Amino acid sequence: MSFPILLQTFLAMKLPEGLTPNLHLLLPEFIVAGTAIAAILPELLLPAGRRARLTAWTSVAGLLVAFVVILAMGPSSKSALHVVDGDLTVTGWRADAFSVFCRALVTGGGALLVLLSMPFTRRMDRGHGEFHALLLFALLGVMLVSGVSDLLSLFVCLELVTIMAYVLASFRRNDVRSTEAGLKYLVIGAVSTAVLLLGIGLVYGAVGSLSFQALARVMTVGQPPAILVMGLAFILIGLLFKIGGVPFHVWIPDVYEGAPTPVTAFLITASKFAGVVLLLRFAQAVFVPTLQAADPFDWVVVLGVLSVVTLLFGVLGAIPQRSIKRLLAYSSIGHAGYIIMGIAAIAAAGSSGSGRATSAILYYMMAYFATSITAFAVIITVSAATKSDDHTAYTGLARRSPFLALAMLLALLSLAGVPPLAGFFGKFLILAAVVDKGLFTLAFIGVGAVIISLYFYMLWIKEIFVKAPADGVVGPRIPVPGVTRCVLWIGMLAMLAMGIVMGPFYSWVHDAAQSMGTYLGS
Amino acid sequence: MNPLLLCLLAPAAATVAIFFVDAKEKKVIRSLATVATGVSLAMALVMFIGFGDFQYDNAATAAQFTAHAGEASEHVYKYGIATDWVEELGMSFRLGVDGMGLAMVLLTSLIMFAGVMVSYTIENRVKEYYLCLLALGTGVFGVFSSLDMFFYYFFYELAVIPMYLLIGIWGSTTKTVDQHYASMKLVLLLSAGAVVALVGLMAVYAQAGTFDMVKLEQFDFASSFQMVWFPVIFLGFAALVPMWPLHSWSPAGHASAPAAVSMLHAGVLMKLGAFGILRIACTYFPAAAAVYLPYVGILCCFNIVYGGFVAMSQRDMKLMIGYSSSSHMGYVLLGVASASLIGMEGAVFLMFAHGIMTALTFALIGWFYDQTHTRSLDDLGGMMKVMPFAGTMFVIACMASAGLPGFANFASELMVIIGAWDTREILWYGIPAIFAVWGLVITGVYLLRAVKDAWLGELPDRWKKLRDQRTFPERAPYVLLTVVLLVFGFWPQSMLDVVHQGVEPLVVRIQEGREKNERDAREVRVVPASGHETTSEEAR
Repeated sequence: MSFPILLQTFLAMKLPEGLTPNLHLLLPEFIVAGTAIAAILPELLLPAGRRARLTAWTSVAGLLVAFVVILAMGPSSKSALHVVDGDLTVTGWRADAFSVFCRALVTGGGALLVLLSMPFTRRMDRGHGEFHALLLFALLGVMLVSGVSDLLSLFVCLELVTIMAYVLASFRRNDVRSTEAGLKYLVIGAVSTAVLLLGIGLVYGAVGSLSFQALARVMTVGQPPAILVMGLAFILIGLLFKIGGVPFHVWIPDVYEGAPTPVTAFLITASKFAGVVLLLRFAQAVFVPTLQAADPFDWVVVLGVLSVVTLLFGVLGAIPQRSIKRLLAYSSIGHAGYIIMGIAAIAAAGSSGSGRATSAILYYMMAYFATSITAFAVIITVSAATKSDDHTAYTGLARRSPFLALAMLLALLSLAGVPPLAGFFGKFLILAAVVDKGLFTLAFIGVGAVIISLYFYMLWIKEIFVKAPADGVVGPRIPVPGVTRCVLWIGMLAMLAMGIVMGPFYSWVHDAAQSMGTYLGS
Repeated sequence: MNPLLLCLLAPAAATVAIFFVDAKEKKVIRSLATVATGVSLAMALVMFIGFGDFQYDNAATAAQFTAHAGEASEHVYKYGIATDWVEELGMSFRLGVDGMGLAMVLLTSLIMFAGVMVSYTIENRVKEYYLCLLALGTGVFGVFSSLDMFFYYFFYELAVIPMYLLIGIWGSTTKTVDQHYASMKLVLLLSAGAVVALVGLMAVYAQAGTFDMVKLEQFDFASSFQMVWFPVIFLGFAALVPMWPLHSWSPAGHASAPAAVSMLHAGVLMKLGAFGILRIACTYFPAAAAVYLPYVGILCCFNIVYGGFVAMSQRDMKLMIGYSSSSHMGYVLLGVASASLIGMEGAVFLMFAHGIMTALTFALIGWFYDQTHTRSLDDLGGMMKVMPFAGTMFVIACMASAGLPGFANFASELMVIIGAWDTREILWYGIPAIFAVWGLVITGVYLLRAVKDAWLGELPDRWKKLRDQRTFPERAPYVLLTVVLLVFGFWPQSMLDVVHQGVEPLVVRIQEGREKNERDAREVRVVPASGHETTSEEAR
C-alpha cells in the first residue's frame, strides 16, 4: 500500500487496478485520527480555563474507544489497502494478530500516558489542544507502524511518529533544555532518517520491489548481492537509531532528560515500541527466511556485538546518574540491548523457528510499557511537588509518600528484572531464547548486566527507603492526584499480573508472534 | 487442602493482608505474621509426621510425581500438586517434597516462626518489616517445595531482594562492617550466583524442553553436556552456600542484619545453595557429579579450617558466628562431596541442625545487642549474672555447635565424617575428614572463648541493667529451637527416616553415573583399535 494510492482513491472515487481497500480494518486508526482533530477544537471554542480537562478527557476517551474496537474486531486474515502487483508481489496493511496486539498495547498504554500527563498538562498555560493532538497523531503513527508490510509505508509511518516527537520534545519552548532536546533530536533524527531512506533505496535497487514479501523471496533464494546487504545494514542502522542502540544512542540521555516528562514517557514507551515493532517486522522478512549458509554476512555476530555494547553502555552509564530521568534514559539503552539480543536470537534461529524469540521481545516490551508508565507517573507527581528530578527529591520518599515509594520500588525492581514482576519474565524469556539458540556468551553477558543494573536500581531504592534527607528534615507529604493514583494502581497490578500469572499474557504474544510470518509465504 | 500449598500460601497471604493493615496497628500486624508462620509450622509438622505413610489417591497423580531413579528404585515426591501455568513453554506450577525437601521446609517453618517472635522487639516501621520478612519466607518455602525449574528460580530471586531492605533499614553498622555496603554486597553476590546458575538451568531447559523437575530427573543428559554445565550450575549455587573462595558476602551480611534476618540468612538462605547443588546439579548430572565432586571435597577443607581460623580472630560476635557458619557449611559440602549414603544423609541432617543451632545463636546475640548496642567481646562480660536464661541458651547453642553428643549437630557431623572416611579414598576424602575432625576443635576454641569473654567473668557496671527474657512469649522461640536440637539429637532416626527417602535415589544415581563413566572410558579405549581394523580391511 502507499499513501498516494490512498489519496487517489479518495479524490477520484475510483479504485486503481489490483487494490482492495478493506478500509474498515483501519477503523481504530480513523477513531484516533478523529480524536486528534477533536482535541484541537476546544482550543478554538472554549475559554482558556476549561480547555485542559476537556481536551485530556476527549483524548483518553478516543483512545479507549479505539482500544475496545481493536479488541472487538480481533485479527483478520485480510489486509487493508491490499495491492496485487503484476508479478504477484502482494503488499497491504496487515491486520494480523501481531498488529492487533501492538495496537491494543499502544492505545491502552496511550490512554494511560495521557492520564498520567494530566498533572503536567493542567499546569500548562496554553497549547493543550496542540499537545494532545500531537501526542495522538504520534500514537496513531505507532499504531500504523504495527501493520506495515513494505519499506515505503515503514518509512512513512515511522516518520509520522518521529516528526510529532520532534515537536513534542521541544514543547516547552521557553525552556532552554526542552528546546535543546528538540533540536538535538531533530538533527540526529534527520541523519538517521536519511540513512534509512538510503538503505530503502539500495534495497529497492537490488530487489526491484519495496514489499517485504519480495524481499523475503530474494533472501530465500540464495546469496544476496552485496548492494542488498548494504541496504539492509543501512535500514537496520536507521531502526537502531529509533530504539537507541549503540553506536546510534548519543541523543538518548540529553533528549530524554530535556524533554517535558510526559513526552519522555512517550519516547521511552510508544516511540521506542515503534522501532521495536519495525525491527521485528524487518527481521521476520530478512532473517527468518535466510538460509544461514547462503548469507556471507554474519548477522548474528553483528547483532550480538551490537547488543552487548548497547547493554554494557546502558547499564554502566546508568551507575553515576543522579537525575531520575537520565537514569531511565541510560537504563532504556540497556533495555534496547536486550531487545537487540532477542533480534540476534531471531537471526540465529533463521527458518528453524523464531517464534520464541519474537514472543520474548513482545513480552519484554509489554512489561516495559507497564513498568515505564508506573515509573513516570511517580516521576511526574514527585517533580510536581518538589520541582526537581534530582536524586535528592527522592531521598526519604518512603516517609513522604509510602504509596509513591511502593510504586517506584515495584517499577525499579521490574526494570531490574526481579520476580514477581513483569520485567523478570520478559528478561527470562529473552535469555531463554538466546540460550535456546546456543548463544551462551550473549547469555552470560546478559545476566552479568542484570547484576550491574541491580546495583544501580538498588542505589535508588536505598535513596527512597533507607536514607534520610541530608538536613534531617523530612519534607511535607506529597499529594497524589486521583488520576495518578488510578494510573499507578493499574500499572502496579499490570506489573504483578504479568509477573505472576504469565499464562494468558504469554498466549497472547505467542499468537501474535505466530501470525507474523504467514503472509511471507514460504 | 494440600498442606504443602498451605505452608507456602500462609506467609504469602499474610503479606497481602498486612499490606492492607494500617501501619499504626502494630499488634494486628505482629499477630497476623505469627498466625501465618504458625500455620506453616503446623503444616510442616503434619507433613513430617505423616510423611512415611503418605499415599496418593490415584495412580495418575502418583505417576506424575514419581521419578524412577536407577534400577527398581523410585523417587517419589509427596504432597504433590500441579497446575499448568504457561502451556506454550511447558511451564507449570508444581509443588512436592521428597525427604530432603521436607527437612528443609520444616527447618524454614521453625526458623520463620521463631524469627517472627524474636522480632517483637522491633518498633521501627513494623509494617514494612513484616512485609519484607514474610515475602522472604514465601520465597524460601517456594524454593524448597517447587518441582518446576522456573518457579524454583522465581522463588529464589523473590527471597533475595527483601534481604536488601531488611538489612539496609533495620540492620546495624559497626566499626568493622557498614550495613549498606554489606547489604549491597550480599544482594549482588547472591544474585550473581543465581543468574550464573540460571544460564545453566536455561541450557537444561533448551536441551530437555521442559521445566518439570520430575521429568528432568528422568531425562538422560549426554555426558559431554553434563561435563560442561555441571560446573556452571554448581558454582552458581556454591556461591550461595557459600563455598570458599566465594564466601565473603556471607559473614558481612550476617553481621549487619537484624536478628531475625541473620537467623533466616544463616539458618535457611545458606541452605538454598546446598539444596540446589543436591536437587539440580547432582540429580540431573550424576555422571559429571561423580567426576567433579572429589575436588569439592578438597575445597571444603578451606571452608572448614580457614573459616574456623578467621572466626577465631573475630571480636565481633556476629562476625564470628558468620565465619563459623561458613566453616560449618564446609561439613555439609564434605558430606555432599563424599556421595556416600551416610555422608549425604549426614549433610542434609546437618543443614537442618546447623540451621536451628545458628538461628538460636543469632537470636540471642540480637537479644542483648538491642540493649547493649555492642557485640564486641572486648566490651562485654559477665552477662550471665543479669541474663541467666539467655546465657544458658547461648551456652547450649555453643555446645551444640561444637558438636557435643546429645545435640542434632553431633549426630549429623559424625555421619558426615564417617561418610567421608568410609569412601576409602584417603587422598580425596580421608584427608578432608581429618581436617573436619580438627575443625570441631577449632570451633570449640572460639566458642568457649566467646562464652568466657561475654557471659562469664566480671560484669561491667554499665551492663547491670540488662534485661533477661522473662515472659513466656519472649522465651518461647529460644525454648522451641533448643527442644528441636535436643529431640533430634537424642532421636536422630526420626529425621533420618525422612531424609533417607530423598537422598537414597540421588546416591544411587551418582553411583550409576560413576559406573557409566568407567564403562564409557573402557569403550573409548576399545574404539580406536576397532576403527583401525576397519580401515586396514578397507585398504586391503
